[in-house]
Amino acid sequence: MMLKSSFSNARSALPFIIPALLLIVLFVFLPIVFNLYYSMFRWSAFDMNGEFVGLDYYTKLFRDPVFYIALKNNSLYAVISLLFQVGGGLVIAAILEEKIIRRWQPFFRTVFFMPAVISISVVGLMWQLLYNPDIGLINGALKAIGHNDWARSWLGDSKTAIYAVVAVSQWQYTGYMTMLFLIAMHKIPGELYEAAMMDGASRIRTFFHITIPQLKEMILVGSMITVIGAFKVFDEVYVMTFGGPGRSTEVLGTMLYRAAFRNDEMGYASSIGTVIFAITLLLSLLQMRISKTGREV
Amino acid sequence: MLTCTRKLALLGTLVLSLIASGCSSPSSTAGESASGSGADGKIELKILHKWPQPEYAPYFEEVVKEFESQNPSIKIKIEAVADEPMKDKLRVIMGGGSVPDIMFSWSGEFARKFVRSGAAMDLTEALNADPEWKNSFIPASLQPFVSDGKNYGVPLRFNGKFFVYNKEIFDKYQLQKPKTWGEFLQLLDKLKQAGETPIVLGNASPWAAIHYLTGLNQKLVPGDVRMKDYNPSSGEFTDPGYIKALEYLKELNDKGYFNDNINSSSHDMATQMFFAGKGAMMYLELEEFQEAQKNMQAPFDFFPLPSIPEGKGNQNYITGAPDGFIVSSKTEHPKEAIAFLKFLTSKQNAEKLVKSIGWPSPIVGATNPDTAMKQVAEAVDMMKSAEGMAEWLDTDVHAKVADAYLSNIQLLLDGTKSPEDVMKEVQAVAQEVKQEVKQ
Repeated sequence: MMLKSSFSNARSALPFIIPALLLIVLFVFLPIVFNLYYSMFRWSAFDMNGEFVGLDYYTKLFRDPVFYIALKNNSLYAVISLLFQVGGGLVIAAILEEKIIRRWQPFFRTVFFMPAVISISVVGLMWQLLYNPDIGLINGALKAIGHNDWARSWLGDSKTAIYAVVAVSQWQYTGYMTMLFLIAMHKIPGELYEAAMMDGASRIRTFFHITIPQLKEMILVGSMITVIGAFKVFDEVYVMTFGGPGRSTEVLGTMLYRAAFRNDEMGYASSIGTVIFAITLLLSLLQMRISKTGREV
Repeated sequence: MLTCTRKLALLGTLVLSLIASGCSSPSSTAGESASGSGADGKIELKILHKWPQPEYAPYFEEVVKEFESQNPSIKIKIEAVADEPMKDKLRVIMGGGSVPDIMFSWSGEFARKFVRSGAAMDLTEALNADPEWKNSFIPASLQPFVSDGKNYGVPLRFNGKFFVYNKEIFDKYQLQKPKTWGEFLQLLDKLKQAGETPIVLGNASPWAAIHYLTGLNQKLVPGDVRMKDYNPSSGEFTDPGYIKALEYLKELNDKGYFNDNINSSSHDMATQMFFAGKGAMMYLELEEFQEAQKNMQAPFDFFPLPSIPEGKGNQNYITGAPDGFIVSSKTEHPKEAIAFLKFLTSKQNAEKLVKSIGWPSPIVGATNPDTAMKQVAEAVDMMKSAEGMAEWLDTDVHAKVADAYLSNIQLLLDGTKSPEDVMKEVQAVAQEVKQEVKQ
């Protein structure tokens, strides 16, 4: 009886699910399958008559030194973003929640959040100017404080370019994470802090023993957003360096773009797309696993 | 139960038809929005060019306006993107549903790739049908758009690359235009010793240095070998001249003849520096001469890439190529598209092109002392007396070979890679391309 009723429930739920399901299949799952299929052909954007090459593009990809540069850069992006956006964002949010600063919180919140709403092309061009070795503000500031030897051609040097690009993302999105953490912090009951204060806990101690455990879910979600975002990054790099100098700032996204629209290798681009999909899928599964265990605790 | 399934089926078909109509309507109207008849019965032509800059774009708008007033049944929509994005944009739109009817293209391999895939319309018949039109072009400007004996493009302008120098600085040190590479190096050395920046280069977009290499390759590698290598189906790039060309370029940088931070300065920024008098010379395109005239405080003159006596290529070549327009093979209005191209390249409009934006026209007699700036007219004479043109390396070889050159040239100049390393990579890519094209 029980089984039957739940069964008919599922039946009546179907009409509600099917439209969304169809849309998802059509616009999400089918493209993924097609992408996999297309990665086995040699074709270009203006010449669809492909020739079957099997898994050649995958072997080519795994032998391509640029692929490893891109992987390394994406990982660098992920690690640094975790540190600054999640770690830094959390600390900034905690500081903004402090009683003394709280009065000005709306002001700081706006200031920190502002970069996140500026278009990436504008941000890229602005930072290109800031990084400019001759007229840029950064070298100017370094020279002003007497560190002439620290000044360099930030985006034009293959050793510093990737860090320069990653730094811009931190500037842009740390405020965004701070905002998310602040919202979550507002939901922590104040009694917890009051009780801890009465017991004589220091501010730092309450941060580690109340704020962080209470924000666990948010921290997990934030971490996953940043890490997955780091593997999908494209525009920052495209606007500022387009993978250069040489290939030193190439990430998977720009590598895909270059293959598709510069070198007329759509099949190769599709295979890179598949790899990006596999990586982000793995990371998402990881997220689901971790967040589930988080809920149980 | 039955009603439930029926409802379900109904809903399913509804959703499907919604999706289907959502999907099919753009593709069925794509042709219309691209080049179909508008609501008011007008034929709409779409044109894509690569000069969105405020100093050039108005010329096209004026020509289009005039054409529209002469042909009230045709409406033209202009779109423009800049030089570097154009290389991607053309590939993206070629694959999409709404291809413009008339598109900018470089000559040489860049256009040939669209010809090979059948995306470019054969214009031979249209040109032959109107001998007056065909003969109005300088033959050397049509030739680079020819593939297998057929014309695929209509040239809009001639472009060449020259060292433009600041006359004040040259006069100050009593320097003469160099004729040979040896004289050139001596001159650079003198400038360097005097504390000047001999050459300004902005190589953030690496085509800037590739233009040096375009001429160096041509001068150092025997012509027939180079043409064989530039052809995707037979490219090997094993001639020692290619390594030499990279060495020559590297030497200019190693000896400090360029400004600092070339890889992070953009070409535009470098041009501004040069116009402002910081630096003795810059390698500029003919299309930039008028800008130089307008913005440079000092008078300027120019000379071509000096000849290299030990080089195995023809020394009487000029670096440069015509560029112009191709017509999409998918256009629904080929007649109108050709009519517009005829109008655009009429003698009257060609003269206007020379006069108002300073570009040399490939139309016979359009670039003359009356219409053109003195330096532009001189440069065109120089190009006419040259035995041939070295077409841009980044659009004259297969895209993948060009990419290998483009991404490695910055590393060559910052010292990460040696000329041998770079050529090894180019050779490997050329080998790969050769196999792909043959299959």
